[in-house]
Amino acid sequence: MINSLVQAILLGGYYALIACGLAFMFQVMRIINLAHGSLAILSAYMVWMMTEALALSPFTSLLMVLPIMAMIGWLLQRAILERATKGGELLPVLSTFGLSIVIDNLLFQHFGANTRTLASYVGDLSWESYQLFDLWIGKLPILIFATAIIVIGGLDLVLRFTSLGRQIRATAFDPDTAGLVGIDARKTAAIAAAIAMMTVAISGSALGLRGTFDAYAGAPQLLFAFEATIIGGVGSLWGVLLGGIILAIAQSVGALIHPQGFLLGGHFVFLLFLFARIYLNRDFLTLRHWLGNKSKGESL
Amino acid sequence: MKSNKRNRLNIGLTKLLAPALVATGLIVSGHVVAADEDTINIGFISPRTGPLASFGKTDGFVLEQARKALADGMTIQGKHYKVNILDRDSQSDPARAGQLAKELINQGVDLMLAVSTPEVINPVADAGEAAGVPTLSTVMPWEAWYYGRGAKPGQPSPFKWTYHFGFGTGEFYQTYMSQWALLDTNKKVGVMYPNDADGSAIRGALVPRFKEAGYTVIDPGAYETGTTDFSSQIAKFKAENVEIINTFPIPPDFAAFWRQAAQQGLNRQVKIIQVAKTGLFPADIEVLGSLGPKIASAAYWHKSFPYTSTLTGQNGTQLANLWEKETGEQWTQQLGATLSLLDAATESLKQAKNPKSHADVRDAIASLNVTTIGGKVDFTSGPVPNVSPGPIIGAQWVKGTGKHKLDYVITENVTDTNVPVSHKLLPYNR
Repeated sequence: MINSLVQAILLGGYYALIACGLAFMFQVMRIINLAHGSLAILSAYMVWMMTEALALSPFTSLLMVLPIMAMIGWLLQRAILERATKGGELLPVLSTFGLSIVIDNLLFQHFGANTRTLASYVGDLSWESYQLFDLWIGKLPILIFATAIIVIGGLDLVLRFTSLGRQIRATAFDPDTAGLVGIDARKTAAIAAAIAMMTVAISGSALGLRGTFDAYAGAPQLLFAFEATIIGGVGSLWGVLLGGIILAIAQSVGALIHPQGFLLGGHFVFLLFLFARIYLNRDFLTLRHWLGNKSKGESL
Repeated sequence: MKSNKRNRLNIGLTKLLAPALVATGLIVSGHVVAADEDTINIGFISPRTGPLASFGKTDGFVLEQARKALADGMTIQGKHYKVNILDRDSQSDPARAGQLAKELINQGVDLMLAVSTPEVINPVADAGEAAGVPTLSTVMPWEAWYYGRGAKPGQPSPFKWTYHFGFGTGEFYQTYMSQWALLDTNKKVGVMYPNDADGSAIRGALVPRFKEAGYTVIDPGAYETGTTDFSSQIAKFKAENVEIINTFPIPPDFAAFWRQAAQQGLNRQVKIIQVAKTGLFPADIEVLGSLGPKIASAAYWHKSFPYTSTLTGQNGTQLANLWEKETGEQWTQQLGATLSLLDAATESLKQAKNPKSHADVRDAIASLNVTTIGGKVDFTSGPVPNVSPGPIIGAQWVKGTGKHKLDYVITENVTDTNVPVSHKLLPYNR
């Protein structure tokens, strides 16, 4: 039981990692990026390709893929999202959905049907574990959990304490007024998209290390990311970590009740939170509400 | 759930495009087929792209061998025929497989062939049965082909035009019993069967017989494909101290399960990890890195099968070596399986009174009794009409000694004793 809980919390770290890019884009640009999962698979393939071609460690390859994904984020914002947002709220959703189909099929065209993984390039890391009394804790899940905390913490610090963060928040709040005080809203949004895509690259690598992927593996990732984001509350990045953990625990409890309940448990809790958010006081389920008003005015 | 929705949308789009493509396809290919009386047309459907692509990967090569052997045509009952194989890619989509079969039937094929997995074979066989075109297939459990398409136990076979050869759950049972008896275990078997057609069929067919044979079966229940955390199953297997695990997963699920099992130390207590579906092909096992070697498997063909192709004259080793030479990739068991289908097909045509008559070709298949590169194909003495059961040989992936990362070695041969056993089964946890 305790073991299941520990495993679930670590799995939650992974969900938070894949969700934080999605949450960040929503928070900053008000865009639900349905191509999120496909972009994660794209970056996993890029890391895989570099690792394979240059005989590097996947971690080194990831460092090289980060700027590429940042560039893709920048282009994505300038070429697609910026125009789509002008057409109302629905258009970005539709255009990113279309984009995800395009990415999936291009990946299939290029890489074929073979299942890939990054785990075989890191020796036994993918399945080594620490033993604490009766608990077996995998090294890789711990690494992924720690990465999630670092990424989310890093994003949070940037948003709170740097001038770039202030510009991003101001742009998110009201681009026109931000422009009045001398912020280049277009540039800021593009930078934010670039940052989001860098987190996507990290989550894609995490997926490749802990499991396997193929060209069409993006959709389930998007689903988990979306669920974690909604459960955690779209307004806060730390909430996403909590959301990921709640999702994973719900899945594990589902699996304990019935082996087929794993995915079902997650979906159930997701719907529960979704309806609660719609019908209850919006503040009720946020971290802020429970931690007191320490971070007033921070989240949007 | 979301992914299903997405797939459906994808399919929706395909459906819109399909009629247009089909129309153009018919116009173009209508000219390709020579509808004269001197040409035999064989339809061949297999999954060359999509999730099942690892099955179809070698088919292009095998067809090339067959076409070479058939370049001069065939002489049947004193008459010379040209032979034309029309191969089609099902793209791993059952709906498309059925559609392709109908197209080929409209083009007037004399014999239809389908290979690899229910997703390809069943829709093609259904189309063949409906149109009265003789259809021959291999590589899926025959029970899922026979009963899965509406036949009832104890009743006469409802199929007049479709025939299938190869392994079934009975062979799986014999092979597993023979394989598991090779090591001294506590006879506790943990089973992990997914919530899909294969999983339910296998659970129904095998679990009661394992119990009869004196094994304790620990079944945590069907899991949903796409599960990312298997803690509860692993905890159960550890608590029950299982020493044998039997599972029928797709590759991503198995990688997730077995890595997590290793994190939890389950791999240290398991002596036999018997995997089906995943592990037919080397790439499935290579992704597991150092967890891959010593995973036990079962093979429907192996290059050391002591048979020769009636069509090309190659034996297993020659076929495998030629593949490795031409592509640089490791041989797979699908090479021999696909060639055995072409063997059986051409032998049937040879024995037909008139290979251009559907009924004569069907009668020839029904009385077929030949030895192909994959072993005996005998429709005269099957457990049910229309079926000729074939071997599934106990095997194990071991660390490669030659140029490949892994070698696939034979550890038992109860379902075909002509196949030489080359290695002792190694316990996984040592």
